[in-house]
Amino acid sequence: MTNPNAKTAALPYNRSRQAREAETMLDHITDDFDDNPPSMAYFYDLFRRAYCRGESIEREGVRVGTTCIHAPEELIYAFGATPVRLCNGSYHYDQIGADFMPAKSCSLVKATLGMLSSENAIPKTGKLDLIVNPTTCDQKKKASAMMAGMGHSVYELELPPAKESEQARVYWQRSVREFAVRLRQLTGKKLTRKNLMAAMAKTSRAQVAFRTLHNFRRKAPSLILGKDVFLVTNAYFFDDIDRWTDAVERLNAELAQREKDGFCAAQKKAPRILFTGSPPVFPNLKLPLVIEQSGGVVVADETCSANRMLYDMTSVDEWLLNNMVDSLADKYLKPCTCPIFPNNDDRIRRLLDLAKSFAVDGVVYQTFAGCQVYEMEQRSVAEALNKAGIVMLAVETDYSPDDLGQLTTRIEAFLESIKTRKRKAT
Amino acid sequence: MKRLKDAIDGVDLNRFRIWFQLAMFVLLVYGGYLAINLGNHLPMFACGFNQEGRGGICYLMPLQHQLARPWPQLFGMASLGVLTGFGIFWLWFIFLNKGWCGYVCPLGTIQDWITALRRRLGVRYARYTQDQFRHLSRVKYVLLALMILIPLGIGGGWFSRDMGTPFCLICPARMVLPLFTGDLSHLTVDFSSKTAVAMTVLGMLITGLFLTGAFVKKRFFCFFCPMSALHYLISRPALLKLRKDGDKCTRCGDCYRACDMEIKAIADDVKNADIMADDCILCLKCVAACPEPGALKATFATITIFESTEAGFIKRCQKGIGLDQPKR
Repeated sequence: MTNPNAKTAALPYNRSRQAREAETMLDHITDDFDDNPPSMAYFYDLFRRAYCRGESIEREGVRVGTTCIHAPEELIYAFGATPVRLCNGSYHYDQIGADFMPAKSCSLVKATLGMLSSENAIPKTGKLDLIVNPTTCDQKKKASAMMAGMGHSVYELELPPAKESEQARVYWQRSVREFAVRLRQLTGKKLTRKNLMAAMAKTSRAQVAFRTLHNFRRKAPSLILGKDVFLVTNAYFFDDIDRWTDAVERLNAELAQREKDGFCAAQKKAPRILFTGSPPVFPNLKLPLVIEQSGGVVVADETCSANRMLYDMTSVDEWLLNNMVDSLADKYLKPCTCPIFPNNDDRIRRLLDLAKSFAVDGVVYQTFAGCQVYEMEQRSVAEALNKAGIVMLAVETDYSPDDLGQLTTRIEAFLESIKTRKRKAT
Repeated sequence: MKRLKDAIDGVDLNRFRIWFQLAMFVLLVYGGYLAINLGNHLPMFACGFNQEGRGGICYLMPLQHQLARPWPQLFGMASLGVLTGFGIFWLWFIFLNKGWCGYVCPLGTIQDWITALRRRLGVRYARYTQDQFRHLSRVKYVLLALMILIPLGIGGGWFSRDMGTPFCLICPARMVLPLFTGDLSHLTVDFSSKTAVAMTVLGMLITGLFLTGAFVKKRFFCFFCPMSALHYLISRPALLKLRKDGDKCTRCGDCYRACDMEIKAIADDVKNADIMADDCILCLKCVAACPEPGALKATFATITIFESTEAGFIKRCQKGIGLDQPKR
C-alpha cells in the first residue's frame, strides 16, 4: 500500500509527525501540571523512549499480540511467551487504518489496523508470532481477515455473544482450552501446573499493585491525577510485567507517603470525575487530559484500557491444571462489563458502585464515533446515573485533534455546573 | 477491635475448617467414650447406629421412630412428644443454621476428606450441568417426604414394621460412621424378611454410591440429604446467616468457583440479601473467595462475624505472589 507520509518517511522517526503527536501529548501530561510524582518518571521515560524516540522495547522469545482484554495473558506467560496488547491510540495510525474500514468506524480499530499494516510499527515490540483476536465487537471480528491479509498469523478466540448463561460459560471455557492447545503448537512447550501457577502469580502481583493504586484514588483530596494513572495502565500494554509491577509498587509507596504528608494533587474542591466508555489509549489521552487541565480530577474509570483490564482477580478452588484454566476463563468472561454483551446491568452497577465509593461528582462517558455498542448503552447508563443523582456528560469523539477546542468548552461548562451544584448544596 | 476483625477476615478459612471439622468429628463419633451425650435432637448426621462412640444422635432417627407410632397414640398425647422433640431440634438448628452441614456433620466431613484425597491424587472433580443440578436438587425434598410418609404409613398399618426408620436403612452414615469405632455389623444384608433384604441391599448400594460419588463430586451426598431439605424449610429465623450486598458485587463468579455445591445464584443473584440457597452448606468458602470488600458476609444475630475483604482474598486466594518476601 502507499504510505500517505511518503514525504516525511525519509525523516528520522523522532522528527516525524507521528513522533510529534506522542511528544505533544507527553509534554502536556508532564509540563502542564506541577508536582508530578517523581516515581512517574519511569513511565514518562518509557513512553518517551517507545513513542517519541521510537526505541525498541522488544522482548525475547515468542511474542503474542492481543487485540482485547479477553485474551488470557496468564496462559501466554505460562507457555513462556509474552503478550503485547495491540489496541492503539495514535491518530497517525488511525488515518492509515481508514483504508481498511468503512468511514464511520471506531478509531481504535482503525489505528490498530494501521499500526499492524506498518513496517516499523510504534511501539516497537518486535515481530509478532501470533495475534489473538477475541471475537468481541463486529469491527474487531472483521479485522481478523484484514490482519491475516497483512501477513499476520491470526487466531480467533471465540467469545460467546452473551455471558450470563451457563451455556456461554462452558462454551468460553472450551474456547480458552482450545487457545491453550494453539499456544502449545506455537511454542512447542507444555502447559503444566507449575508454569501456569508461576504465570498466574505474575499477573496477580501486577493486579495487587494496580488495586493498591486504585484504592489510593479513593482519597479526597486526590493523591494522584487520572492522566498519570492512564499512562501507568497503558504501559501495561507493552511493558515487561515484572518491571511494570515494580514501578507501580514504587509509585504506591510514594502515594502512601503523600497521604501521610497530607498532600493534594488537585484543588480540594476539584470536581471528582469517573471516566467510562471507549478506552483512552496513549497518545489519545485527549479527553482525560482536558478534564484535568480544566480543573477536574479523574478519580476512577471503567474502561478496558485500565480498570476493566486489571481489576478483577482470579480465584482457584483446587490448584489442579484443569481447574486453574477454567478459573482463568471465568475471570475473563463473568465480570466483564464490555457493552458487546446484551445486558448492561453489571456495567451500571459497577459505575454506581464506583461513583459511590470514590465520592464521584460526575461521570464523563466517552464514545468513539463509530463504536455503536457504547453509543447504544449511553442512554440507559445516563438514566441509571441520573436516578442516583449523578450527572453525566456524554462525549462523542475520535482520535483527531480537531475537536479539542469544542471539547474543552463542553468539559469546562460541565465542571462549572458541578461546582455550582456543590456550592448550592453546601 | 479493628485488628481482631482484620485477623478474622484474613483467616485461612480452609485450614480453620479442617481443624474445626476434625474436632467436631471426634466429639460426635468418639465423644461417647468420654461420656459426652448431646442428646438425640441434633440437626446433622451424628449417627445413632454408632452405639459406643456417638456423642449425640441425629434427629431424623427419633423422628422416624416417633412418627411410626400407631395413629391413635401419635395423634393423641404422643403428639406432644413429637412437638417438643421438634422444638429441641429447632433450637439446636437455628443456632448454626446450615453451618451444621459445612462445619459439624460427620458425614459431610468424611466427604471433604475423600475430596482431599482426590485432590492429592491430582484427579479433577466432576460438575453437573445446570439442568442436572435443577433436577437433582429436588431429590432431597422427595426423600424428606418419603421419610415422613412411610413411618406414618407404618403407624396406619399400611407398611411392614421392617420399614421402620426407612431413611436410616438407606443412609450411608449408618454403615460408614460405625466403621470408625470398629463396628462392622451394619455392612450386612438383613435376611429376616423380604422388606429387610430390599432395604439393606439398597442401603449397601447407596453407601457404595456415596463413596464413589464423593470421590468424583464434591459433597456428593449433600444434594440428596433430606436433613438439608428440612433445614431449608425452617431456616428463616436462623441466627447464622449468609448475606450479600448486591451493589458491591461485580459478578466475577469467584464465589461460584469456590462453591462445593455449585450454587450459581451466589454469584449471579444481586437482588436478595439473604442469599442462602437450599443446597447451601454454609461452609463460607464463598465469603473467603470474594475479592469485593463487604459483598459477602456471615452474620450471627445480625452481627457481622466474617466478611469478604480485599486483603483477606489476596492472602487466601493468590498463590505464590510473594508479598511477604522482600521486593527486588
